[in-house]
Amino acid sequence: MIFFALLCALVLVAQVVEYFVPPLEWMFNAHIYFVPVLVFYGAMALPLPLMILLAAWAGFLLDILTAQVIGPHVEISIGSAMLLYVVLASIMHGLRPLFIRGRWEVHCIVSGFCTSAILLAQYLMICFRRGSIFFTRETWWQIGGPGLLAMLMAPLVFWTLHWLASATRFDYSPEGEGRL
Amino acid sequence: MKRSSIVALLVFVAALAFFFSLDAQKTRNLQAAVLQLLAPFLKTGSGLEKQITSVRTGLKSLDQLEAENNTLRVENRSLKATNQALRDVEHEVNRLRNALDYRQRSVFKLIPAEVVTRDASTWWRTVTINRGKDDGIESDMPVVTDEGLVGKTTTVGANITIVLLVSDENCRVAASVEGTREQGIGTGQRVAGTLTPLIDLNFLSKQANLQPGQKAYTSGVGGVFPAGLFIGTVKSFRVRELDGQAQLTPAVDLAKLEDVFVVTGRK
Repeated sequence: MIFFALLCALVLVAQVVEYFVPPLEWMFNAHIYFVPVLVFYGAMALPLPLMILLAAWAGFLLDILTAQVIGPHVEISIGSAMLLYVVLASIMHGLRPLFIRGRWEVHCIVSGFCTSAILLAQYLMICFRRGSIFFTRETWWQIGGPGLLAMLMAPLVFWTLHWLASATRFDYSPEGEGRL
Repeated sequence: MKRSSIVALLVFVAALAFFFSLDAQKTRNLQAAVLQLLAPFLKTGSGLEKQITSVRTGLKSLDQLEAENNTLRVENRSLKATNQALRDVEHEVNRLRNALDYRQRSVFKLIPAEVVTRDASTWWRTVTINRGKDDGIESDMPVVTDEGLVGKTTTVGANITIVLLVSDENCRVAASVEGTREQGIGTGQRVAGTLTPLIDLNFLSKQANLQPGQKAYTSGVGGVFPAGLFIGTVKSFRVRELDGQAQLTPAVDLAKLEDVFVVTGRK
């Protein structure tokens, strides 16, 4: 439970830190996102109930901090990012056996794809609400760039959280789920 | 499936149903409440960011000094560093003096505010400022600097407010172009590849033939933005199938916002 609480706190800190990391102009203004990498680590490391809570927490924070209320309309309802995170985290949770066997590259690659998937889904929702859809080179970079950066960041996050897990005596194995 | 997993799923579905059922006002209230809780973290982060930027600037000038003259003695370095610090203070004084002058000569009632955070999301362009309901700020109030229009307030907490920037596609501004009778609607671009995105001025007449350098101001139509606020300068003009469209370079460098004013009315 200590490890889960730490992950939740780290998600909050990462969400705040993202505000102060400027976008990369050389990558067509792509942003750097830390939260998905943390959440998708949790998706593989935590048992299902805690994974759902962690993903919902991250989604809630993203929803609250990005919700645009324009007059009487909310552009994307609060809950959308929660749903996105939980669905993607559930997919990653299916790869947990590989993770438990120590296949760290699975977390890195899928974290990148899932980060881009969140941005793509957000973009499609915006296009749907605004009534037109187009994809430019900038759009693809702003969707794909953060995914690439997440893949690059993931090994460092993986090893740091792995160390944190062992420091808090967190047991990954399904048999150890009772000893959180 | 384990019982705990089913319970977690049910709780999640219930939470989702609750959030999806929120209307705009309740969403705004919830967002304001959570922002208010996060305000201390955001303000601390903003302070740290400023300190780090200041240190980085200092280090950069030291590097330049070393490159220019490797024989400088320690006393000289110390003097240069002090000088740099004084220049920072001078810059700060000039910036605040400009802001104060603008506030005094403006025809609007202005509430000064400081930008706490810039947008962290890819698809929306907003900033948060350190003023809110406690200072008399409400939703849909124009936000300006001495250079021109910045945007409008959306969600307002007790002492934190989200400002929707004029470069966001959802921020629509009725505009007129100087020296012409042309009127249009200015909106930001959905996807911008640079830190200073342009503003599209739509629904102009096909014969408008605007020239680069012409200035666009708010026309006062719509009720949110008073007339006469400088929006931006025409960069280009093109004729579309049904109308003319101009691209404006925003009057304010939105990537470097530090101090802004919220317009609460006329003097």
